[in-house]
Amino acid sequence: MKRFIFKRFLLAIPVIVGVSTLVFLLIHMIPGNPVEVMLGERALPADAERLRNELGLDRPLSIQYLNFLSGLARGNMGVSFFYRKPVLPAILERYPATLELTAASMCLALIIALPLGLLSARRPYSSTDRLSMLFSLFGATMPSFWLGPLLILIFAIHFDWLPVSGRENALSLILPSVTLGLGLSAILSRMIRSGLLEVLDQGYITAARARGAGESKVFLLHALRNALIPLITILGIQFGALLSGAIVTETIFSWPGIGRLLVQAIEARDYPLVQGCVLVIAISYIIVNLAVDILYAVVDPRVRYEK
Amino acid sequence: MKKFLSIGFLLWCIFSCEKQDLLKQGTLVIGIEGNPTNLDPRLATDAYSMRIDSLIFNGLTRPDENGEPTPDLAERWEMPDNRTYIFYLRKGVTFHDGSKFTSTDVLSTFESLRDPGFGSPLVTTFELVEKMSAQDPYTLRIRLREPHAPFLSQLSVGIVQKDIAQKIIGTGPFRLVRFSPGSSVVLSANEKYFRGSPRLKGVIFKIVPNDLTRILELRKGSIHFLQNNIPPDSVDDLEHNPALAVLKRPGASYAYLGFNLEDPLLKNRLVRRAIAHSINREEIISHVLRGLATPATGLLPSFHWAYEGDVERYPYDPEKARKLLDQSGYPSRSNGPRMRLSYKTSVSPLSKRIAEVLLHQIEGVGIACDMRSYEWGTFFSDIKSGNFQLFTLLWVGVVDPDHFYYAFHSSSFPPRGANRVRYRNPELDGLLEKGRRTLAKEKRREIYSRAQKIIARDLPYVSLWHLYDVVAMRKELKGFVIYPGGEFYSLENAWLEHR
Repeated sequence: MKRFIFKRFLLAIPVIVGVSTLVFLLIHMIPGNPVEVMLGERALPADAERLRNELGLDRPLSIQYLNFLSGLARGNMGVSFFYRKPVLPAILERYPATLELTAASMCLALIIALPLGLLSARRPYSSTDRLSMLFSLFGATMPSFWLGPLLILIFAIHFDWLPVSGRENALSLILPSVTLGLGLSAILSRMIRSGLLEVLDQGYITAARARGAGESKVFLLHALRNALIPLITILGIQFGALLSGAIVTETIFSWPGIGRLLVQAIEARDYPLVQGCVLVIAISYIIVNLAVDILYAVVDPRVRYEK
Repeated sequence: MKKFLSIGFLLWCIFSCEKQDLLKQGTLVIGIEGNPTNLDPRLATDAYSMRIDSLIFNGLTRPDENGEPTPDLAERWEMPDNRTYIFYLRKGVTFHDGSKFTSTDVLSTFESLRDPGFGSPLVTTFELVEKMSAQDPYTLRIRLREPHAPFLSQLSVGIVQKDIAQKIIGTGPFRLVRFSPGSSVVLSANEKYFRGSPRLKGVIFKIVPNDLTRILELRKGSIHFLQNNIPPDSVDDLEHNPALAVLKRPGASYAYLGFNLEDPLLKNRLVRRAIAHSINREEIISHVLRGLATPATGLLPSFHWAYEGDVERYPYDPEKARKLLDQSGYPSRSNGPRMRLSYKTSVSPLSKRIAEVLLHQIEGVGIACDMRSYEWGTFFSDIKSGNFQLFTLLWVGVVDPDHFYYAFHSSSFPPRGANRVRYRNPELDGLLEKGRRTLAKEKRREIYSRAQKIIARDLPYVSLWHLYDVVAMRKELKGFVIYPGGEFYSLENAWLEHR
C-alpha cells in the first residue's frame, strides 16, 4: 500500500505541472492586464512599463513560466498583485471555509441519502420507494440559486432561527450546507438504491439469508458494503467538484470560500492568485482521488494494490 | 440526548442573541457587495477599500458634501503662487498606535505614491510634484511642475505612518480591528480622534455579494445600513419597512452610451444623433430604475457648480431618428435593417436589463443591434482597446470638472486615459488644458460651460441619466450624510438613538 501511495504521489507531479501550464497559458491569453487595473486609466505609459517590469510581466512568456515553475518547486506561488501578499497564505485564509462547507454538505448528503437509499432498496417500487425517489428528483433538479434564497426566507427570515449569511458561528453553516447537500443527497440516494438492488440479486446474499442472517444484517453487512464502491467513487468526484464549484452557494450565503476568491482573482487578472487557487484545487482533487482509491481497498478486501 | 438538545438550544440562544445586540451595543453593520482588496489607501483600487479607508485614515484635505476640498489633516493652506502650496498641519494628532503625526509622515506617503514601482493608481497625480519639503514638523511645502486645479481634491488620499508600511494604521475616527478577507472588516472607535471620539462604538463591514441576500439581511436586522447597493426593485419594499429609513437624493453617478468614433458607421454624427433620438430615457428610468435616476444632459449633474444646462438635447423622437438615418444614407429597407451594430455590456443583471430595453428602442428605428455581455475584465479590456461599437458604462463620483480631460482629451486615449470613445476635437483639447491650469472658479466655470456645449453637440456619448444615491438604514441611526463619492465620513459624527 505504501508503495502504491508513493507511486500515486509521483504520478501527481506531471498532473500538477500540466494543470499549472494550462492555467498559466489560459490566464495570459484572455484579454485584460493587471497593470491597467492597478494603476488605473490615468497612468503614464512609462509608469505602466515600470510596474510591468516590477511585476515581471515585461519578460517573455516562456521566462515568466519558468520563473513560475521554479518558484513552485520551492513552494513559492508568488505574490498576489492586488492583495500584495504571498498567494499561499491568501488562499489558506479561505481554504478552511471551503473545506468546512464541502465536508458539512457531504456529511449531510450521506445522512439523508443512506436511509433513503436503504428504505427504497428494501421495498423497491413500494410507496416509500416512490416517495424517496420523488424527493431525489426534487433534490436533483432544484438549482442552488433558487433553493438558497428559499431556505433563507423560511429559516432565517420567517422563523428567525438561523443567520441569513456569513460565516460567524456553527449555525451559519446549516443553510449553505443544506443547499449544497440536498442536491447531492438526491444523487447519492439513487446510487445507493440501484447499487443495493444489484447486489441483492447476487448469490451470496441468498446464501447469507439461507444461513439465517437477519434482514438488517444482510442489508447492512453483506449488501451495503458491496454497494459502497460506486458510492465512494461518486463521493470522491463530488467532493472535488464542491471544492471549486460551490461558487453560486458561496455567493448567496456570503461564504468566504476559495471559489469566490478565484472568481475575483480572474476578474482582476491577478495571475499569481488565479494560478495558486487552481493549483490548490487540483492538488485537493488529487488527494481526494487517492483517498478514494485507498478506501476501495478498505471497503472491498478483493482490491489489493500490492504485487 | 436531552443533554445534547439543551446544549444545542443554549448555543442557538447565544448565537441568535448576539446579532440582535450589535446595534444596541453601538456597533453599526454595513453591507458591502465586494471584498476590499487592499486597505492601504495608497494602493486601494476598488471603491470598497477607498470607502472603508475614509474611516481609518485622514488626508490633507477631505471633500465636503458637494465634493469641494476642505481642511482635514492640513488645518489650512496658502498659495504664494499658482504652483506652490504651503500646508499647515494640525498639531496634536496621533496615529492609532499612539505615535505623533508630523510632516514626515505626509512626505513618506507622497514619496511612495510618486514611485511608479510602488504601483499606486495615484502615481500620475503625484508625478506633477516638482519638489516637496518639510519646513518644520507641521509645515509642508509642495511645488508643482505646472498649475493643476484638481490637486487639492486629490490630496484626500489617506496619510499612512512613516516606516510602518505594512500595517493599516491611520489617524481616522475608527481603527482596524480585524480584516477577514471575503467575510468582514471590523473597526472600533478611536477614542483619541482629533475631532473627538466617535459616538458609534464600532463599524462592521459585512461582505454580502448577492443582492437578494443583502436585502434579506437588512430586513432581518443583521445588517443595519446599505448605500448604493440596493436593487431598484427592492427600494419600494424597504420604504414600507417600519424599522428602516430610506434616503434618496440625486447623485453624481452618470450613465452613458458610448460610441466608437473610429467605427465607419458611428463616425457619422447623423447616425449618432439618430441613435440618441431613438432612446426613451424616461421609460427606462421609470420602469427599470423605478424612478431612481434623473435624465442627464451631460457628465456633470445639475447641482454641480460647473454644470451647463444650455446644451443641445436629444429628446425621444423616433420619427426624427428615422429621418436622420435616411439623411445619413441608411434608408429604411423592406428586406432587413438599416444597419447592424453590436453593443457590449458586463454580466451584471441590471446592466443586462437596461441593455435589453435600450436595444429594443434602437431597433425601433430600424437599427439591428446585438447584445454581447462579458465578464468584467474582458468587457473593460475590450472597451479600452477600442474593440466595440456601442457600450454603456457609469462614471461614479465625478467631483472636479477636470474629469472632462480624462474622458475626452485627445491625449487621453487608453491606456493613457479614459477617452474610450476615441474622440478628437482640437478646440475642446485647448479648453480642457486651460481648464486644469486655471485656478479661479469663475473662469473655470466659463471654460467648462463651453466644453460641455461642444461635447453635447459632437455627441461622443449619449447622456443617459444620473443615478440617485440611495441609502437604506435602521431608523436608530442619526446624523448620517450622503457624500458624492459614497465615503462614510459622516459616520464619525453619527449616533444611534434607541427608542
